[in-house]
Amino acid sequence: MADSIVTAENLVKRFDKLTAVDGVSFTIDEGEIFGFLGPNGAGKTTTISILSTYLEPTSGTATIDGFSVTGEAARVREIIGLVPQEIALYPTLTAIENLRFYGRMYNLGGAPLERRCREVLELVELWDRRDGRIDQFSGGMKRRINMGAGLLHHPRFLLLDEPTVGVDPQSREHIFDTIFKIRDSGTTILYTSHYMEEVELLCDNIAIMDKGRIVAAGTLKELLKLLGEGGVIELEISPPGCPVGLEEQVGAQTGVTSVRREEDRLLISSDNSARSLAPVMKVLEGRGCQVSNLELYTPNLEKLFIHLTGKELRE
Amino acid sequence: MRLPRKLWFVAAKDVLIIAKDRGAWMSLLVTPLLVIVVVSLALSPVYKGGTLHGTLLVTNHDTGSVGQQLVDAVAANPGVTIQAASNSESETLKQGSSTYAASLVIPADFSAKVQAGQSSQLQIYEDPNSTTSAPYLKGMINSAVNRFSAVEVAAKVAVTEALKQNPAAGAGAVAADATAAAGAQMSSQPIQVVSQPAAGAKELNTFDIETPGFAVMFLLFGVLNGAEGLLEERDRGTLGRLLVAPISKSAILGGKQFMVLALSITQITLLFAVGHFAFSMNTGNSRAGLALMVAVTAFTATAFGLLLAAVARTRRQAQAIGILTILLMSALGGSWWPLDIVPSFMQTLGHLTINAWALDGIKGLILHGKDFYDILPQAGVLFAYGSACFLIGIKMFKFQKA
Ligand SMILES: Nc1ncnc2c1ncn2[C@@H]1O[C@H](COP(=O)(O)OP(=O)(O)OP(=O)(O)O)[C@@H](O)[C@H]1O
Ligand SMILES: [Mg+2]
Repeated sequence: MADSIVTAENLVKRFDKLTAVDGVSFTIDEGEIFGFLGPNGAGKTTTISILSTYLEPTSGTATIDGFSVTGEAARVREIIGLVPQEIALYPTLTAIENLRFYGRMYNLGGAPLERRCREVLELVELWDRRDGRIDQFSGGMKRRINMGAGLLHHPRFLLLDEPTVGVDPQSREHIFDTIFKIRDSGTTILYTSHYMEEVELLCDNIAIMDKGRIVAAGTLKELLKLLGEGGVIELEISPPGCPVGLEEQVGAQTGVTSVRREEDRLLISSDNSARSLAPVMKVLEGRGCQVSNLELYTPNLEKLFIHLTGKELRE
Repeated sequence: MRLPRKLWFVAAKDVLIIAKDRGAWMSLLVTPLLVIVVVSLALSPVYKGGTLHGTLLVTNHDTGSVGQQLVDAVAANPGVTIQAASNSESETLKQGSSTYAASLVIPADFSAKVQAGQSSQLQIYEDPNSTTSAPYLKGMINSAVNRFSAVEVAAKVAVTEALKQNPAAGAGAVAADATAAAGAQMSSQPIQVVSQPAAGAKELNTFDIETPGFAVMFLLFGVLNGAEGLLEERDRGTLGRLLVAPISKSAILGGKQFMVLALSITQITLLFAVGHFAFSMNTGNSRAGLALMVAVTAFTATAFGLLLAAVARTRRQAQAIGILTILLMSALGGSWWPLDIVPSFMQTLGHLTINAWALDGIKGLILHGKDFYDILPQAGVLFAYGSACFLIGIKMFKFQKA
């Protein structure tokens, strides 16, 4: 297993009375893409702000490549790259002027700076538009330059805060391609999003955040296991007070690996939902349960989020 | 002190942004120039001689001839028209309602007193709203009186001498003859006093008076732009991006403020240059003094801008507070009218502003012929003022978004 490059222990950030980050701990291994998945206000940006030295935590510690984000902020700043959630560019300057400026902030200059600007512009596929002003770019193009500005100095650890917001599917593909290329060049990435598809696609490890806490973490597989392996049959049954021992009986049916009861819902995991469905229905009918709603799906983060928090990821 | 290299990159980036911003140039140079030119041209008759003239209303109660001789002497000036008046007419002017700029009342015993060598009094009523004609007429009367007094003295000397040589003649008769003869000489053959500017001194130019005041005011508006630019960087997140990059806060703020300072110096220098080359604005005798005043005024304005950015929570708030304080400071501090015309407590109050100290120094050089050493106190006060604003501004400025 690779060494961890980022560690966070019990991070807390309070703004007056509001606790934006409430005891968050995690580690990120070198070379992986680590995802923060959570709805608006979950505390993703605040956590990123602490890691990037923009905000000081109220309590807790974090290190990046062994350097403390509070005590050794200057060292941390040299090795991280931040792509903020907002378009942090100078709108009246051109794409390349923006990149040159940020490159200089990272001690680049002369021919290496020019070369790096070109590489980055080619990476985000905007070399042709290098002399266009940012305020005349489309939203997706701005996003790509915004990302490019965080890559110039080959950061060892890149923090991407919702880099695909307001971007059309094609630009999104561009951005994903770019992220994989960066990862392949050895950069460790922290990716935040409230799109579960993105996190599923990109991330090796995922932390699901809600209300300032990490409610579940692990690889995609590990997380989905929380909902059961294979397919899921989700049933809403009435009357709510269903007979005792129903779970055991359902669990004994063909293919069923686990059964969980949540109030009036029954979550049945199965190796083969299609084959399990008929016997399960039969049992329910036999026990006098009315099925008012039925859903068959393969486990996904959206469902897991609902399962963990009782609410939708996107509301 | 070696300034960090990145400070210059931050400043250079702002140069690039400003260079592309036509609106900024408009508000930094074009607007101030238009205002200065309009105000200077509009107010030039108020300050300038030009074509001076006026009608003097005269009420002559004098029973002798001296009063009339004096009136004739005043009337001899080309711009003066004499209008004889009844008593009631001069009373109206006294009460302040007349179309005449000034009136002169000569008392009945005027000749008698003058001839007896006693002091006598002439009464002048001026229309307070006439800023050019009334002072002009008054000046003409005073100069006639002065000449007349000189004639009196000459006559007395002549009488004394005549009596020494011919004691038999009656003193009273000789004196009367001499005065009459001298008086006749006075109006028929006056000593021509031709007034013209002394060699080397320039004629007063309204641009000398108006340019510094408005330049300082627009300088403050210029730094307000700078303050807004700083808050805009914070709002937009570019400042946040710099904060997590390997550059110190002092280099970020230093670069931005250096740029505001450089732009301020450029702005005021260009305004003075246009005033000087296009409208013959005087620049005083000390270029070094003017350069010092420009530099220290720009410094203080820059610091004031930083303080604005520090106390305002948002860009809009900075704009609102900025416009209010700049207009107040400009009115109080003499940017719109000279402070010599306001009551003394307002002058004291005015010296709480940057404008007053800057204008004391700059106008001292331009209008009152002061030199480098004379304006050091004003420069010193401004520098202290600016340093205080800077220190408070740096302490209070919040880099993070609220
Ligand atoms: N500077 C601040 N002052 C006060 N409250 C703040 C500040 N920054 C964030 N918060 C609050 O902290 C909570 C977490 O915000 P954060 O921006 O970290 O969420 P997020 O997960 O990034 O959400 P989003 O998906 O909308 O970007 C929110 O309730 C937010 O209002
Ligand atoms: Mg966020």
